[in-house]
Amino acid sequence: MTGKEKTNVDRRSFIKYAATAGIAAVVAGAAGYFSAPTRTETITRTIPAGEVTRTVTVGGQTVTQTQTVTVITTPTRPPPKPPAGKTEVRIGVLAPLADRQGKVQENAARLAIEEINAKGGILGLPVKLVVADDKLSADTAVSEFRRLVTAEKVDVMIGGYSSGVMTATMEPMAELKTIFLADASSPAHARKVGANYDKYKYWFRITQNNGITFALDGIEQIDYLAANGVKIDKLYVIRDEHIWVDEWEPLFTDLLKRKNIQVVKSVKIPRGYTEYEPLLIEANRLGAQAVFNMLAISGTGDVLAKQWSTLKLPLLLMGHDLAAIDLGFWQSTGGACEYEIFMADGGVVQTAPPTPMCKSFIENYTKKYGYPPEAHQGYGAYDAVYLYKKVVEEAAAAGESNPFDSDTLVKYLERYTLGNAIELTRKVAFYPKGAWGADGTRWDHDLVWGDEYVKNWVAQWQGGKQVVLAPAWLKNADLKLPPWLK
Amino acid sequence: MISFENLVVLLVYGATLSGVWALISSGFTLIFGVCRLLNLAHGGLFIAGAYIGLSLIKGFGLDPLTSTVLSMIAVGFIGSGVYTGLLMKVKEHEVTVVIITLALALIIEQVILLMFGEHGIIFPPILAGVVYLGDVPLPAMRIFGMAIALAALFLLGLFVTRTRIGREITAASQDVEAATFIGLDVNRLFIVTMFISSLLAGLGGVLYSQIYAANPFLVLKALIFAFAIVILGGLGSVKGSIVASFIVGYIMTVVIMFLGARWSELFALLIIIAALIIRPSGLFGVRE
Repeated sequence: MTGKEKTNVDRRSFIKYAATAGIAAVVAGAAGYFSAPTRTETITRTIPAGEVTRTVTVGGQTVTQTQTVTVITTPTRPPPKPPAGKTEVRIGVLAPLADRQGKVQENAARLAIEEINAKGGILGLPVKLVVADDKLSADTAVSEFRRLVTAEKVDVMIGGYSSGVMTATMEPMAELKTIFLADASSPAHARKVGANYDKYKYWFRITQNNGITFALDGIEQIDYLAANGVKIDKLYVIRDEHIWVDEWEPLFTDLLKRKNIQVVKSVKIPRGYTEYEPLLIEANRLGAQAVFNMLAISGTGDVLAKQWSTLKLPLLLMGHDLAAIDLGFWQSTGGACEYEIFMADGGVVQTAPPTPMCKSFIENYTKKYGYPPEAHQGYGAYDAVYLYKKVVEEAAAAGESNPFDSDTLVKYLERYTLGNAIELTRKVAFYPKGAWGADGTRWDHDLVWGDEYVKNWVAQWQGGKQVVLAPAWLKNADLKLPPWLK
Repeated sequence: MISFENLVVLLVYGATLSGVWALISSGFTLIFGVCRLLNLAHGGLFIAGAYIGLSLIKGFGLDPLTSTVLSMIAVGFIGSGVYTGLLMKVKEHEVTVVIITLALALIIEQVILLMFGEHGIIFPPILAGVVYLGDVPLPAMRIFGMAIALAALFLLGLFVTRTRIGREITAASQDVEAATFIGLDVNRLFIVTMFISSLLAGLGGVLYSQIYAANPFLVLKALIFAFAIVILGGLGSVKGSIVASFIVGYIMTVVIMFLGARWSELFALLIIIAALIIRPSGLFGVRE
């Protein structure tokens, strides 16, 4: 290679390298424009599957970006199918249909089923309601339970009301291995599950809490009053002469003792009792600030309210009266129940629905039947239908061979427990297997009690309406004291 | 030593309860004593008075006093209508009378349940407010109810002993055949007796619902209590029924006060049984 050739080669090399460098610089610069600045955007919107095109401004230049978005739905596999041969889902309601506490369960279940069927049923299957009347008789309930399961082939049972009837009905439930989403408050039912889990595990209390919690709710009323400037240190108790009170009165009295509150007298009354005035006069004479009632069986809570309102003694009327929960109580007492403080069983007062689903249930029930749910058992029955749908679908989605199998569904129901409530018309959760309650007995599959779950809210009759005084997150009114107490 | 407060409560509350029971039981025994009819629909008439009265208030806007008077008259006519339309034809057949009247009682209960539901009703009181005797509060309606009941029973006594028709009814109750022979229209007397008896039951029901409350299930309870009191007093003896009502009423009030409410009905029934063991025909009954 000559000198001139060497120079020519060098110049060519230089140009080549320089051009390369220049191109690299341009590319690098262009890359810099497109890659910087780095921003993270969180876009919260509904993105349809397929291609998404958007226009953005980058470095003063309008750039069209096209991206393909794949929307992932859960589950990614095809929707679960029901077991082969199953053509419909049958839900049984067994309740005292002559009473409003039973009729409301039928009505509520029917409404829920209509809603579910309008949206395709359960696993694509239509849902049918099968109803039977237990007539508040243990014998009738047992035979009807058997008939519904064996002849009518119901997949699940909802219902109950009487604790005595429920105790009897748990036997065919266990024998026939049928999920029973139940009402009734006796602690004995949960104890049966605790004592023999494998036999009675199909029972779940969904409508109201274990009756022992009435003692806790009673203390809540006392504490609420104290927090609102009403100090109670003497109580006069008027209670049903019935086992349902025997089970929680000792705990209540014990809790009162710890607060230095004296029960000056506890009077048991028989069914149909009406002579409350002498008792109210005695309560006043013994220095009580309040009469605490524990009534459900007596059936004469309206008479108590009326006579309390007539005498106008310096006594609050509080406690648990099943009659006071009834929406017609105001009318039946002629307004005498004004200022009566009571426990709202089942965790719902209609002026303060605890969940959006509860609000729409009340509206839809009223639209369909012409009146709001007549009793708190309605919320339990409505929740039971939707809960059953939920767990069946979950079981099917998880690939269970038979998502309607009771033993299978027990596991899925048990998942709705402390810390994992399901929001229905109330926030429903069940105590787990092996749970111990406030009274030291087993509360397996009982409805979880608490402000974040279901409780008998502190409620009061004011101006013809039931209002919630506590808890704070749900209250829609403040305490009102009778004018004769001020 | 009983306190003043307890004494007042005992006297007034005992008299109120006794007076109401006396109204229903005296009517019940009057029918038996005169017509020889065991009217098991009497409890239904007792409660019907309350519901008719309330319907007059709510439906026509009547005041409690007017509706009380009208409802008891209405019940009187219902009772005499039942006798005329049903019982008169079968009164010789005691078992048939029992069946028919019991069925009527259940029908009344069911009609009330269908029309008014299972809830109790509270009748607005004729007199509201409280009267104080010393430190003892006494609802005005209790005192008024007690006075009305006692007045009604007094008037019943006057009617039976001092009026012509009352004496004719007494004659018919003693011997129906003899009364017929002397030209008394026995059927007319029986109809009048049914009217008075039912009127007393209706008044009792209205007063009861103003002091306490009424519900459909009282139909049978009222019948049972009335029957027990009538047996204690002596079947057919109005005086016996009144005395027995006060015995039972005061026993219940004393037991509520000193032993507890849960024992009141049990003790009342035990006393009735004990009295009947000692005197099977009742306190003022006639030995057969």
